[in-house]
Amino acid sequence: MEALFFNVSTGFLEGIVRGYKAGILTQSHYNNLTQCETLEDFRMQLSSTDYGNFLANEPLPISTSTIADKATQLLVDQFHFLRSNAVEPLSTFLDYMTYSYMIDNVVLLITGTLHERDTHELLERCHPLGVFDTMPALCVATNVEELYQSVLVETPLAPYFRDCLSASDLDDLNIEIIRNTLHKAYLEDFHRFCTTLGSPTSEIMHRILAFEADRRTINITINSFGTELSKEQRAKLFPTIGRLFPEGNNAFAKADEIEQVRQACDHISEYKAFFDIAPSARANGGAQVDDLGGDGAAAQLEDRFFSTEVHLNKLAFMQQFQYATFYSYIKLKEQEIRSITWIAECIAQNARDRIQDFIPIF
Amino acid sequence: MSTSSSSAKDRNLLAVIGDEDSITGLLLAGIGHINEQQKKNFLVVDAKTQISSIESAFQEFTERKDIAILLINQHIAEKIRPTVDKYQQAFPALLEIPSKDHPYDPSKDSVLKRVQKLFGD
Amino acid sequence: MSGTGARENVFPTRMALTNTKLRLKGAQTGHSLLAKKRDALTTRFRAILRKVDEAKRKMGRVMQLASFSLAEVTYATGDISYLVQEQAKSASFKVKAKQENVSGVVLPAFEVDRVPGTDFNLTGLGRGGQQVLRSKETYAKAVETLVELASLQTAFTILDEVIRATNRRVNAIEHVVIPKLDNTIKYIISELDEMDREEFFRLKKVQGKKKRDAEAAEAKKRALGEQEEKKLVDDDVGGGGGGDLLSSKDEDVIF
Repeated sequence: MEALFFNVSTGFLEGIVRGYKAGILTQSHYNNLTQCETLEDFRMQLSSTDYGNFLANEPLPISTSTIADKATQLLVDQFHFLRSNAVEPLSTFLDYMTYSYMIDNVVLLITGTLHERDTHELLERCHPLGVFDTMPALCVATNVEELYQSVLVETPLAPYFRDCLSASDLDDLNIEIIRNTLHKAYLEDFHRFCTTLGSPTSEIMHRILAFEADRRTINITINSFGTELSKEQRAKLFPTIGRLFPEGNNAFAKADEIEQVRQACDHISEYKAFFDIAPSARANGGAQVDDLGGDGAAAQLEDRFFSTEVHLNKLAFMQQFQYATFYSYIKLKEQEIRSITWIAECIAQNARDRIQDFIPIF
Repeated sequence: MSTSSSSAKDRNLLAVIGDEDSITGLLLAGIGHINEQQKKNFLVVDAKTQISSIESAFQEFTERKDIAILLINQHIAEKIRPTVDKYQQAFPALLEIPSKDHPYDPSKDSVLKRVQKLFGD
Repeated sequence: MSGTGARENVFPTRMALTNTKLRLKGAQTGHSLLAKKRDALTTRFRAILRKVDEAKRKMGRVMQLASFSLAEVTYATGDISYLVQEQAKSASFKVKAKQENVSGVVLPAFEVDRVPGTDFNLTGLGRGGQQVLRSKETYAKAVETLVELASLQTAFTILDEVIRATNRRVNAIEHVVIPKLDNTIKYIISELDEMDREEFFRLKKVQGKKKRDAEAAEAKKRALGEQEEKKLVDDDVGGGGGGDLLSSKDEDVIF
């Protein structure tokens, strides 16, 4: 049923995205890039890919952040093109994708406001995908209540904010809690929205979002060890979707060390693998992380999350007539930008031994 | 000498003039400090920063009484090289540090230049 | 005269000579002491110099590692620089100055004074927190190296200054004070010698004069005696010498 009418409204855009997908760098591109001696060479290599001459007008020496910025700009342009051509329900779906950037932007602005910083400077730093009209007005607010009443109620983020209105004073701890509460609410809401889209979109998106939620849960748990975040507060930040919910989440809420996290993940084979491989990888990469001990495993974990994310997103391309393709494309592209930046960083800093640590997509 | 060593006890902060990445890292290490007058002990220099504001930050940091060590990115020191070379005080100690995009070049360091001169003759 | 070089403005007296000699002695002792101090400082200085050189090169590597760890953070979390800048409130990484004494020169040395801060603990809570933590540690280590280097460098600057000052003093004593005192002593001695000679000459002169006077007096005496004798002889002759007696004026009326 879905598939029958899909092409009427979204066939064109799906075609576009699949075309874009062909522009994603391949392993051989990456091989060429990693061979570069300088960023100058790097730019040359990139210009033979779909990125084209995006760095042509940059003054030398190119910094890695410029590369990242420009690449992001390309992605944003593509996204805006998709967004302006989209019709319901794809347009809402795409809007949902921007919400997570919006959350980060809002949090950034709140942080800046707290410290009385120049608004314009802040606005420049916001992620271009998460820009919304009333954003500059955020700078006037001094507490969450006010923020909500004056600005956020107009934005799509309003429902998410309801949960954290209780946090009356805005200090750095609370801001980080707010950020994570928002993300949690966002993931849950996105999950709900995907359900309304029906199969196969919901099926694929649920898989991706569930992973996203689990990743968040695991990360929050591990990262909150030894901080002033209490266990009750921690439990509140866990998204209530995902494969670990609910019993895994409960175990996480009580966890004090990484071993307990591992146990909680045991019954899900894929997640279990993250922790299993980690020690051996630590032995290989031990040279770099030896003095940091247990942190090494957690850092490896992050890499595994990234590669699993890529894997899931790649799978999303396998099926036609569904919206997850758009989501996956943007996420893959983001990963690609990260990889490019990583390679550029390695070249710039002469760290050739780590240059292979990026995650290729195709 | 006696006057500078007696005041050394009150100096316990580090200050930085550097590019964004250096500052971020150093702040992560925990050196960031904002005092009662909302004065920071760090200055982020980017492509748009005026030389004059670097100069004035340099002056300010070198004149502040609570700063023990002033770190400055070498490529930024390069921009105000005459001022840096002229700086001979023991306190705060001036240290040129490399930045991400500009690896360290010992031949440009004003202190190392003196070291080399002393070794040379 | 020997006082061609610079000399002090003193009266060339024995007293001044003794004083000046004492001062010369003092200056020489001072000179050798200062020279010893300079040597001690220079030894230290050389050692520090080498360490500074080493540490500066080490810093290059350490900072590279550190900025690379930040690249890892950026990879995992995205740009956190702004958050970090905004969250900076009070330093948890401070230094403490402690002092070390090298041949009477107070060298400050910085010591890391880290309070376990809770800043940025929650940065990257949802993603990349471990990388942030690692980067934090790497940077803290890098800053420790920097602090170490800073103490070395401060010691270097101060020692440099002190050595210069000491050198100036040593040179001043060697090339100005001591020659001046030497000259003064020479001057005083020569002046005293000169005075000696003058005195001698004067005495000689006085003696000569006295001698001459004495001789003259002697001669006169003798002449008088002869006259007397003559007179006696005349008187002895008597007679026709009566007119003579009147004509010849007798000088010695006393008689």
